[in-house]
Amino acid sequence: MSSTRRRVEYEIVKRLVGPALMQVDHAQRRVKSLRKRAAKPAGPFGPPLESVRKLKELMTRHYLEGRYADGAVPVAWVTSGFPVEVLRPLGYHAVYPENHAALCGVQRVVPHLSEATEEVGYARDLCSYARTDIGSVMLQETPVGRLPKPDLLCCCTNICQTVLYWYRSLAAHFQVPLVLIDPPFVYGEAKPHHRQFVRDQLDELLVVAARVAKRRAPSMDEIVGVTKLAREGTRLWGECLAESRNKPAPWTGIDGFFHIAPIVTLRGTAECNAYYRQLRDELRHRVAQGIGGVREEKHRLLWDNLPIWFDVRGMSTLLAEHGFNFVCTSYTNAWAEAGSRIDPADPLGSAVFAYTDIILNQDLGKRFGTLARLAEEYSCDGAVLHSDRSCKPYSIGQLDLKQRLAKQLDIKVMVLEADHGDPRAYAVEQGHGRLTAFMESFS
Amino acid sequence: MRSAYVQRQREEHGRKSIVVLPVHYPKEILTAMDVLAVELWGPPGAPRGPEAGRLQAYVCAVVRNALAFLAGGHADVVDAALFPHTCDSVQGLATLVTDFGGWSKPSFVFQHPKGPTRASVRKYLVAELRSLADGLATLTGRPLDVAELRAAIRLHRTIDEVKTRILEGRGRLATSDRELYATLRRGEWLWPEEHLEELRVLERQLPEAGAPARKGVPLFVTGYVPEPMSILDALDEVGAYVARDDWAAIGRRVVTPARALDLEGDPFETLAALYYEAPQCPTRSLDQAGRLQRLLALYDQSGARGVIVHEPKFCEPEAFDVPAIRKAFGERGVPLLYLETELETELAGQTTTRLEAFVEMVGARRVA
Repeated sequence: MSSTRRRVEYEIVKRLVGPALMQVDHAQRRVKSLRKRAAKPAGPFGPPLESVRKLKELMTRHYLEGRYADGAVPVAWVTSGFPVEVLRPLGYHAVYPENHAALCGVQRVVPHLSEATEEVGYARDLCSYARTDIGSVMLQETPVGRLPKPDLLCCCTNICQTVLYWYRSLAAHFQVPLVLIDPPFVYGEAKPHHRQFVRDQLDELLVVAARVAKRRAPSMDEIVGVTKLAREGTRLWGECLAESRNKPAPWTGIDGFFHIAPIVTLRGTAECNAYYRQLRDELRHRVAQGIGGVREEKHRLLWDNLPIWFDVRGMSTLLAEHGFNFVCTSYTNAWAEAGSRIDPADPLGSAVFAYTDIILNQDLGKRFGTLARLAEEYSCDGAVLHSDRSCKPYSIGQLDLKQRLAKQLDIKVMVLEADHGDPRAYAVEQGHGRLTAFMESFS
Repeated sequence: MRSAYVQRQREEHGRKSIVVLPVHYPKEILTAMDVLAVELWGPPGAPRGPEAGRLQAYVCAVVRNALAFLAGGHADVVDAALFPHTCDSVQGLATLVTDFGGWSKPSFVFQHPKGPTRASVRKYLVAELRSLADGLATLTGRPLDVAELRAAIRLHRTIDEVKTRILEGRGRLATSDRELYATLRRGEWLWPEEHLEELRVLERQLPEAGAPARKGVPLFVTGYVPEPMSILDALDEVGAYVARDDWAAIGRRVVTPARALDLEGDPFETLAALYYEAPQCPTRSLDQAGRLQRLLALYDQSGARGVIVHEPKFCEPEAFDVPAIRKAFGERGVPLLYLETELETELAGQTTTRLEAFVEMVGARRVA
């Protein structure tokens, strides 16, 4: 199929079909929700956020456009901590395999996809995000219909080294270029040559990304434009999170795990920012009205690490029934914090700091400082540290962090061993039993 | 034994010593600065103390055992620790023991870059090497002497050349795998010149080229580290031997440059050049195809008739390549055994049985 025809299809889907389908979907949901509202008894949660509809629309459109993107526009598969601002001016459609794997986790298709990878020799001990996406590629199955084939793989090791091995396997499979941004881990303060290294890699990225996209390198004005949007988006996201400093928190930390999707996948776009303005305003309205994410908020918890995607609903319901709410999470906070370092006046120079000094690329002393600050700012009286079998860099040190948080902040802390994607690595009953015992310790 | 050796080095030569975590680091700089490197691959066996419990059971045992070892004071005889940028777990250990307790002596990191050589990487690597040398100068009390670094590079080049000859001639060498690898692994803690002497003794045992191959089924092994060492005894007992290896601890660290190195120029540039001449390792390379090509070539050169992929549990860099290795050898019809062993325990009877069955199968293929 010619690239012109693909482009036409892509534009039609993007400008006409997507919005039209969203309107139909919106109407159907509206009818359903009216019926449900009448029939469903009140649960432990506050009324659902109106913004959820918009979130679903945004993400559905993103994946729908993706189905028609390859052959029409350049496609990049990108790790969540990658400086995507460089790719946007070049017209790339960015696919986030981590976000896709999280979606697979929520839909509980991880065991099926993962088994395909295990059959060819991938160990079950490996990150379930990686197993899920590699399985999806192997089977050509995905809950989003279809993922576009990448022209470029973009990997940044500021979240873990696992992405390096994972993307290396993808590069071997797709036979496309893989660009790497490798920010050295920060012990104490980053050394000048470490920062220079990241800057030099960003300069190299510009050249490679332009070559693959068959376009001239983006001008500084174009990069500044995207950077402004990215900065604004992360600021808005931070404002959404900060609303949970109020009592009661107007939403739950679990809601935050879902609403993080645009800042990860659509960072640097106007639609992302429009969405967070709407969400922030809604949250502010709920604060003014005294509406909580949990109907009767009694205890406020901090969550550390990725969520347990396949059990978010069950776990949050269990907690909400006892008046517990995760009012902040180190994971969702990371996206607000990193973005605050982005400076449109110096987009590449500030990207060095934004993409190096993130929580998972810094020493445990700083990690403790972040957790302690969050617990204080959000008035937490407890914390749950998710010891995630699939995320070693996030989990190493948690047993020490638990002791320190409990001792220095005088709060109750538990470590919950699970997995962010693979239900085979987590016994739900046992986990809920441990959470129940933890909640009882507050009484 | 190692503690006594470290102590003796201090008393007899005034040498400082440094415990080094796996895998890749510029040993030449340590040698040039008269610092003894003592590598810590675990150590194997049960953790030496309760501190291993500070890490989850799903973290690799090399790192959990190292934590117990360091925090238990078993490495107190050395003067400092060096953590290369190997993987998330070693990186995590480096901050855990220094920020939250377990190691109070000086510590250094060597954050080697990942991926292919590029202008940015080359520049960074040279700066990182210099930075490490500057850091070590605070330990030794004297700056690195460039001439001494050149000499150290030459010494380590000689060591690698002798190792290459031994490993390439392994099929003619009567020494058992246990003896061979014990000698090779003594390089993890001996002063390099002493290690070279031992290697030369081994090299002199090599029969002339063309001598008949040793008895037994030759196998090619790729993996992390030959632990537990009893795996070598088990191979011997079932009539097999390691014809060539790609263990990260051994064969993968022997550098045979494809092009001539400038040994008289800036020695940091020479070290950076050497870094990219080293065999492909998943802890620092992006090129999976290049690695597979090398493994297939080594297999062909070795005369091996089967492959063992020998990995410790929870080793991500190694584990991600296993499917590709299986596929590459599978397409060539090469028998392959995947063996996952524990660092903490001796070889299980079940593993020995699997080895036996594999060697029998490979042997039978030869007859057929």
